[in-house]
Amino acid sequence: MKRSTIRTLEKFNLPIVAAGFLLLAPVLTVQRTTDFIIFCIFVLAYDLLYGYMGRLSFGHMLYLGVGAYAAALCAEHISANPFIAILTALLSGAAVGLLLGPIIVRTTGACFALINLAFNQVGFFLALIALAEWTGGEDGMAAFFDTVWMLNFDNRYVVFGFSLFCLLLVVFLMRRLTGSPFGILLRMIKENETRAQFLGYNTYKYKLLAFVISTTVAAFAGALTILNYTYVTPSFIDTTRNVEVIFASLIGGAGSVFGALLGGMSYMAISNYLPNYIQRWEMFLGIALLLLVFRFQTGIWGFVVARVSGTDAEKDQ
Amino acid sequence: MISTIAYGLTIGGIFYIISIGLSLTFGTMRIVNFAHAFIYMAGAYVLIAVMPVFKGLFIPAAIVAVISVIPIGYVIERFIIRRLYGESIDLAIIATYAVLLIGVDITKWIWGATPIPLSDPVRKSLPVLGVDLPVYRLIIIGLSVLIFLCLEIFFRKTLVGKIIVAGLEDREAVASLGINLEKYFSMVFILGSCLAALGGVLYAPITTVHPYMGFQVLLLCFAVVIVGGLGSMRGTFVAAFALGMVMSVTGRFWGPAAEAMVFMVMAVVLIFKPVEV
Repeated sequence: MKRSTIRTLEKFNLPIVAAGFLLLAPVLTVQRTTDFIIFCIFVLAYDLLYGYMGRLSFGHMLYLGVGAYAAALCAEHISANPFIAILTALLSGAAVGLLLGPIIVRTTGACFALINLAFNQVGFFLALIALAEWTGGEDGMAAFFDTVWMLNFDNRYVVFGFSLFCLLLVVFLMRRLTGSPFGILLRMIKENETRAQFLGYNTYKYKLLAFVISTTVAAFAGALTILNYTYVTPSFIDTTRNVEVIFASLIGGAGSVFGALLGGMSYMAISNYLPNYIQRWEMFLGIALLLLVFRFQTGIWGFVVARVSGTDAEKDQ
Repeated sequence: MISTIAYGLTIGGIFYIISIGLSLTFGTMRIVNFAHAFIYMAGAYVLIAVMPVFKGLFIPAAIVAVISVIPIGYVIERFIIRRLYGESIDLAIIATYAVLLIGVDITKWIWGATPIPLSDPVRKSLPVLGVDLPVYRLIIIGLSVLIFLCLEIFFRKTLVGKIIVAGLEDREAVASLGINLEKYFSMVFILGSCLAALGGVLYAPITTVHPYMGFQVLLLCFAVVIVGGLGSMRGTFVAAFALGMVMSVTGRFWGPAAEAMVFMVMAVVLIFKPVEV
């Protein structure tokens, strides 16, 4: 394939993604494909921080959980309208991002990873014990949603279609965002933050904004998860699950929207089917991570791009 | 009240022993070493494995457990951490996390996932101000203070220690004097690993031994390292005991909140004193 072919294909990226998932649905069953789609949204949110801004978060499950719990609580106490629930989830995701962001984004590297992890642990404790009266503690909570217009969210096909629409929306927005001057600035912060400051940018402001966008989109994925599963438990935000999204981001290729999509798909495919054949799942995950770190840092998308264009420096753009 | 303080000091002592290794790798290589949790757990499991060999004697079994992690520490340092040195910090974090996952799975493979309880090896208690305190906990507190003093002497008085402290301050300046820092850092790593195993060994009789014991303690120890200041030996000592007290005092009033409180303290410290890596 020539690069011009890639350019033409990129113009039709959204229909291609949509067609891919629609073809996948009959193969994998609808609910599982919905699961894949939602995870892809989460990986996209994560990749904005890790791939573009170069900040490795080890506690992103918290923001997913915030969305899920916010949607469930809204359905129980305020309104069973799914759109209001999603809106509540988005607002809570943004609120948590604004609350924790000023502490978190001031740090880099190792500290950034750990502080996210610590807050995730606090969130887990809140959901499991401190707020058990509302969240149902270890049993978790169920959520039921009303039918709005023709959208009955008890129907799996409706959830599937809605999630796919949301994914396309997020992919579109992420493409716009990462291609904009703001996205370029984020990459500049990743490469050399001091230089970005030297050029007169208030990097703190941009980092906080990127962080809030990331938590909001993660909360969005959480709200969709609860539409799909109709329940949420504290194990959903267990800190040990963070490695899933890191793995997905790495295997797909960090720092590109399509890489994140491929990574989300690959991780879900591996985690759904491999444990049937391999008993030692954690060991497999560990070895695969080591291989990725040492031999295959650019991930699948980086590999594809390098193959197509003949250089490995080109990515995404 | 006395028992709360004693518990806080015990926990603080354990935190300190485990955190030294983390603080040193943080300070020297700027790496969050998740594999530390694996070594900590390996220490506890080796202790359980060799206890029957010594007919239930704790001290020889503990010594064997601490020595047995040296090769594990060496392999991790040589083949994972050193290869990633100078590359991205993030990749090093992920790689050490992968080592932890593999280690946990191997442990589950060999010993199974069921928690193994271990009885108090001293089985005596001492009345202090009208409260009976287990002697074993007092020994832990004493041992952690002793280790602190030994490390202070090691880092201030011996040549090797001075080189390491200098390396913490400024790598390039030390390297430009013709000193092979990698060798010393690898020694520091193995020293830290041995202390992590010692922490696991000492903590095992207080809690139970299970494959995921590392995750929890590791998070708390990261909090200790961050509060104490990266790579600061004395800061780690003070922070370990302070956070140990925070945990035990919170635990006295509301048990489940103890760990969350430690992270809250960490967040507050970070607000007023941002860490620069």
